[in-house]
Amino acid sequence: MSQGTAAAGAGSTDAQSQQDEFNPFQAMADRFDRAADLLGLEEGVREVIRAPDREVIVSFPVLMDDGKVKVFKGYRVQHSFLRGPAKGGIRFAPDVHLDEVRALAAWMTWKCSVVNVPFGGGKGGVVCDPRKMSRGELERMTRRYTAAIMDVLGPERDVPAPDMNTNEQTMAWIMDTYSMHARRSTTAVVTGKPLSLGGSRGRTEATGRGVMISCREALKTLGMRPENTAAVVQGAGNVGGIGAQLLHREGYKVVSISDISGAIYNERGLDIPDVLSYIKQNRTLEGYTEADHLPHAEQLELECDLLAPCATENQITSRNVDKIRAKLIVEGANGPTTSAADDILEERGTLVVPDILSNAGGVTVSYFEWVQDRMGYFWTEDIVNTRLEQSMVAAFNDVDKVRKKYDVSMRIASYILAMDRVASVYRLRGLFG
Amino acid sequence: MPDSFRNPADQDLDGHLAATPVLDEETPFASVQSLFDEAAEKLGVAEDAYHVLRKPDREISCAVPVQLDNGRLGVFDGWRVQHNMGMGPFMGPMRLDPNLKLDDLRALAAWMTWKCAVLNIPFGGAAGGIKINTKRRSQTEVERAVRRYTANLLDVLGPDSDILAPDVASDENVMAWVMDTVSLHERHTAGAAVTGKPVALGGSAGMRDGTARGLRAILNLALERLRIGSLDHRPVVVIQGAGHVGGNLARLLHGAGFTVAGISDVNVALYDPEGLPIPEILEHRAKSGTLVDCKVECARMTNEELLAVECDVLVPCAIANAINSSNAVDVRAKLIVEGAHGPVSARADRILDERGLPVVPDILANAGGVVTNYFEWVQNRQGLNWVPDLVSRRRRRFMTEAWNAVLAFREQYDVRLRMAAHMLAVKRVSEADALRGIYA
Repeated sequence: MSQGTAAAGAGSTDAQSQQDEFNPFQAMADRFDRAADLLGLEEGVREVIRAPDREVIVSFPVLMDDGKVKVFKGYRVQHSFLRGPAKGGIRFAPDVHLDEVRALAAWMTWKCSVVNVPFGGGKGGVVCDPRKMSRGELERMTRRYTAAIMDVLGPERDVPAPDMNTNEQTMAWIMDTYSMHARRSTTAVVTGKPLSLGGSRGRTEATGRGVMISCREALKTLGMRPENTAAVVQGAGNVGGIGAQLLHREGYKVVSISDISGAIYNERGLDIPDVLSYIKQNRTLEGYTEADHLPHAEQLELECDLLAPCATENQITSRNVDKIRAKLIVEGANGPTTSAADDILEERGTLVVPDILSNAGGVTVSYFEWVQDRMGYFWTEDIVNTRLEQSMVAAFNDVDKVRKKYDVSMRIASYILAMDRVASVYRLRGLFG
Repeated sequence: MPDSFRNPADQDLDGHLAATPVLDEETPFASVQSLFDEAAEKLGVAEDAYHVLRKPDREISCAVPVQLDNGRLGVFDGWRVQHNMGMGPFMGPMRLDPNLKLDDLRALAAWMTWKCAVLNIPFGGAAGGIKINTKRRSQTEVERAVRRYTANLLDVLGPDSDILAPDVASDENVMAWVMDTVSLHERHTAGAAVTGKPVALGGSAGMRDGTARGLRAILNLALERLRIGSLDHRPVVVIQGAGHVGGNLARLLHGAGFTVAGISDVNVALYDPEGLPIPEILEHRAKSGTLVDCKVECARMTNEELLAVECDVLVPCAIANAINSSNAVDVRAKLIVEGAHGPVSARADRILDERGLPVVPDILANAGGVVTNYFEWVQNRQGLNWVPDLVSRRRRRFMTEAWNAVLAFREQYDVRLRMAAHMLAVKRVSEADALRGIYA
């Protein structure tokens, strides 16, 4: 459901500028530069915190079910070790390439820094088409990839997590492979594991919960109240679905939600638990009778107070930003707002809570999982949720202070905060060797 | 073979100490395996997984040469059996026992796997020890044996590999030697490699009466949830054993207003249906080491007779197979809670089940000790000692969650509590194994 890619540009210059606008990493680089200027970062420090610390490229053989050996290419980029071990997902997809992995690793550095968890950023991936592989092939590929990057992994070095096309099971295989090589149980080497192998309670809901907390904190700064707030949620998965459910529980009027098939709308507010159980039963929103149906593009332009894009990147762009009517945008997805749209929203005074703050609930609970694994003791869901709440509120307030100090958007403020934290750790640690 | 070629360690075997009386013929290993088989079958565990779970992951035998005080070298036998690592590092007892047998250790290791799984503690089961008679050996000989045994096993021990705990004849001093040996070889303090250490070396608060407190929690839950006893009288409890499990339990229950009607040691049982003055009795035992000449006014009887008195709850906390096929029909309690390891024999278990008498099995009821061991390991990893109150509260939570899970299985599968506990354990371990897969 990416309207972005469907709308092809007319002329080549247009196509180029559109490609730039829709490249979220270009967007991040723009924001990095702007934040660095505002911070007055000297050239050397700027270079140090921008360049990835280490990039590992591996080729490794896997025995396929048909008896042939196939060689796969895998990456692990560790962007920064300044604040702690690297942390970030591993993705399996046919179009994984180094540039993307590198950008996502940097993104993780800033995200971890904004919510103040003691990690640097990392990202990894294997070029493969998981839909065309058997479970056995996937397991063998995961284990061999783990063995190939084994030397740079570890609870104190680099802690992967699930990402596109990887899940709890993948993490269990990585944990097992690492443990067998290390000759000891090492649960803290990955997060996003199943509960029975050292996973954390509350992790699946963490990102959605973080989105809800961000909404609440943002409402406070705007002097709004949940019961008078009409919310539109794009996406009904782990982030959007859980987010909508929690917003509903907190008294918001959730007027619209969408999934891959389209969006539904009810001016008086949707019965979200009912909608979600409908999706669970039918695996789609299609045919839900208690609301009007409308296409994706129109959902974003609905009259509402709060818009939470929780689906995919590049949803709010220079093409539709003029029609966005929400006073508050809270980003559940990564990169749902393009840089160009961002500038317009800022001029207009729309408050945008940026992804690296508002969807950082996931990485925060990943951090909690690592902490729990290191002590071998597991918190109740209540404790996980309470601590997540504390972390998110603290991060929101930290960003808000920077926003006021520099008179910038929440997004630029987040980058300033994140980069300043990394830069000051760099100054404290100094150069080794 | 010339006499001078005899291994001085063999002296320990002369004149076997009285072994645990096994009135029913099954060996402990056979009992554990038959329980596992039944649980696996009822759960419908896949055949491949069944074979993996049934066999210990690793068994290590080692010779333990020790410089004896008389200048000779004695070579003792040592073992460590590691049963299943699906849930996490191995953890289990280290015992010093002249009658130590590999088969018993296999049973104990498997039993530890199931026990940890019932309590949802992230460990797999292990068991080991040295075939040595600590009563015939000097402390320095025992220390040298323990250190050498530890050194032999260094490759497989450690906080994330295999964690030792005290057991028969191995106390907190022995654990301190193990901890010191591991730490010196590893060149860093490895407190979490061993649990049951002295408090000064990172031992946990609440270790002494951990098992008894866990038992009390389970006993309370069982009375409430199985609706045993009536509201018009305080529950009447009979306890076999007055050591650190039975004695502490008696003290805790007496303090909580229960009527403790019976208590025993190896020599005699004291009985008063109106309730015994427990503090007085325990004080006497602490001074004299026995209940024999205790002046309290009450009936005296044998242990066998005590097991047959009428009461709400019978808690056997002394020896294995105390309730066996010859006396199971005589038990007049409404509920049995196992404080000792295997106090109800496999045959007696079937008899009691037919009689409809609920038995809360050892792997659930006496797991308070293992939970406290686990807490010690956590505290050592955190480098933070919990206050006694926190240990108690968290222990109670683990016991309650385990009880609830076992009870849910009992209802779902319509089986006795012992089977429900084993099924829960086998399910958890087989799921963890399946998630991890078989590597290389």
